[in-house]
Amino acid sequence: MINTKLRYILLPLVGVAILAAPSVLGGTGTVYSAAVLIAIFAVMAYGLDVIVSDLGEVSLAHTVFFAAGCYTTALLSTRAGLDGWGTLAGTIVVALGLALLIGLVTLRLREFVFSLVTYAVGVVAVTLASNWQFLGGSDGLRGIPPLDLSFAGITLTAGNDQELWPYAFALLAITVYLIDRFRHSRLGAAAIMTHLNPRLATMGGTDPARVRLQVFLFSAPISAAAGWLYAYQRAYVSADVLETYFLILMLTAVVLMGRRQLLGPLAATALILTQEKFFSLGGYVDKIILGSVLVLILGFFPQGLMGLAKPLQGLFRGLRRPAPKPPTTSIGDIK
Amino acid sequence: MNLTQQVINGLVLGHAYALVAIGWTLLLGVARLVNFGHGQMYMVGAFVTWWAVAKAGVPYALAVPMAMAVGAVFGLVMQRVMLKATFEQNLVSIMIMTLGFGYVMHGGAALVFGSTGQILETSLSLYEVNMGDLWFTGQDAAIVVATIGLFVGLKWVLDGTRIGRLVRMVAEDPKLAQLAGVNVRRVYYGVFAFEGAAVAFAAGMVAPRTPILTSMGFEEVIMTFVVVVFGGIGSVKGSYFAGLALGLFTALFGALVSPAYTTAAVFLVLIALLVLRPGGLSAGAAGAH
Repeated sequence: MINTKLRYILLPLVGVAILAAPSVLGGTGTVYSAAVLIAIFAVMAYGLDVIVSDLGEVSLAHTVFFAAGCYTTALLSTRAGLDGWGTLAGTIVVALGLALLIGLVTLRLREFVFSLVTYAVGVVAVTLASNWQFLGGSDGLRGIPPLDLSFAGITLTAGNDQELWPYAFALLAITVYLIDRFRHSRLGAAAIMTHLNPRLATMGGTDPARVRLQVFLFSAPISAAAGWLYAYQRAYVSADVLETYFLILMLTAVVLMGRRQLLGPLAATALILTQEKFFSLGGYVDKIILGSVLVLILGFFPQGLMGLAKPLQGLFRGLRRPAPKPPTTSIGDIK
Repeated sequence: MNLTQQVINGLVLGHAYALVAIGWTLLLGVARLVNFGHGQMYMVGAFVTWWAVAKAGVPYALAVPMAMAVGAVFGLVMQRVMLKATFEQNLVSIMIMTLGFGYVMHGGAALVFGSTGQILETSLSLYEVNMGDLWFTGQDAAIVVATIGLFVGLKWVLDGTRIGRLVRMVAEDPKLAQLAGVNVRRVYYGVFAFEGAAVAFAAGMVAPRTPILTSMGFEEVIMTFVVVVFGGIGSVKGSYFAGLALGLFTALFGALVSPAYTTAAVFLVLIALLVLRPGGLSAGAAGAH
């Protein structure tokens, strides 16, 4: 476990390294494009991370929040002419509204019934997005203007991936900060308690249904904010933002490194996108790879890649001082 | 619009829904497992049947058992990977893994069979029965007969045979069943192989009704879920009647309101069901019957 002081030194260093990474890695358009997508998809996955890792439920509706961000941004920027701040505010409001609706309907549902209902929400959303003319139907919505976050006379715009990167990085940094704060908050503790022992949580004066709803409301705008930036990155939005790919990507990002690792979803998204963008074996084979990674990790290495690295940590520790007794349970065991 | 014709369509569709759901009914009742890859297993079953008939020239009556064998092998492989999680009843991992399997199957099927739509034609689907204004195909009749046969057969196996007793014991309490000498692992494998074979059989029977695409499968999961919830989780008889009700609803909604929003309407029915009988979900989960 990294101690708190070390964290305060390490995290900013990691941040600077990430910010500089695309230019160090060649600074080409492809690299910047991959970097922006990694940041966006990692933010999308962080939204789901708190539901899966902290609350212990599998929400399959997070692609809907992501898509809600995309569509809100597309509609507000093309039809109402709002700038980046306006579309972001709209995205958050819409995500909260949807999360409240889905959250209230599924409040008493748990485990697979909860997951199946959220899955159905996703399938219905695809039907709506591809049939409803207001959302552009099967053509989607085109002509989204470049991101414009100018305020108080300061011009802040981004027309290509290289210009978009600092904003994607900022969104990512804010998200990681929020997730970290959440995990150290009363709500975060209540979520874990509700997850591990709802009866105990109730005895301690926590209302599990309320906690679930609050965590849902916290997580939805995060995934939606990723959709907000994705709409600007792509400049058009169609029903394909609801594809299963995004769901599988999110889930893999959450479990690949091991659950409740602060930088886990980011590292996992980076690994997956690097494979897809630079070592692609064709769309179908990439699908097989991504799905297989997800299945094999959960089937055979439920603690993720960090779990694999644990024996190595013990080895290095053993060089310096006597090996400590291995912990019988760790946070990675939480499922 | 001819109402009687829509009722006939609804009955055929209802039997099709029940047939597609039968594997999951047992899976949920016995092992408390859900399979989000169910729809993709249906898709693979449809494509294996299509490939065998259209490309390999195998007779349809032989192509369906081939698809069932492939489905059973897929089921066994899935259960092998998920065995640890199944024993731990780690539903979160199981759900995510079945989604992953579905995704792999989607990619694999598109790679092998291509991403263009296909039509699975059988001699039965080309044979039309006309009675005045009303009509149905030989395939429709075969679906109804096969579904009734399979449901009666499954009910008989569960209630009246030694295998059925072992399966019900595992559904009741896997740990105690193991103490009583039941090979729980083998039952889990068997149930998953049945799920794979049953959904492939359903695909071989039902897929000739519609064009087949490697991207299909999502609606099948929702329809199956509604059938299983509405019928009372794990109840074989309940699933059959729930399938019929859903089929009639879908056919009439599609004809009277809008075919494009049928899934959305079914989803609203599902939500209404969950609000009306939330307790029924867990109460019915006690086992297969």
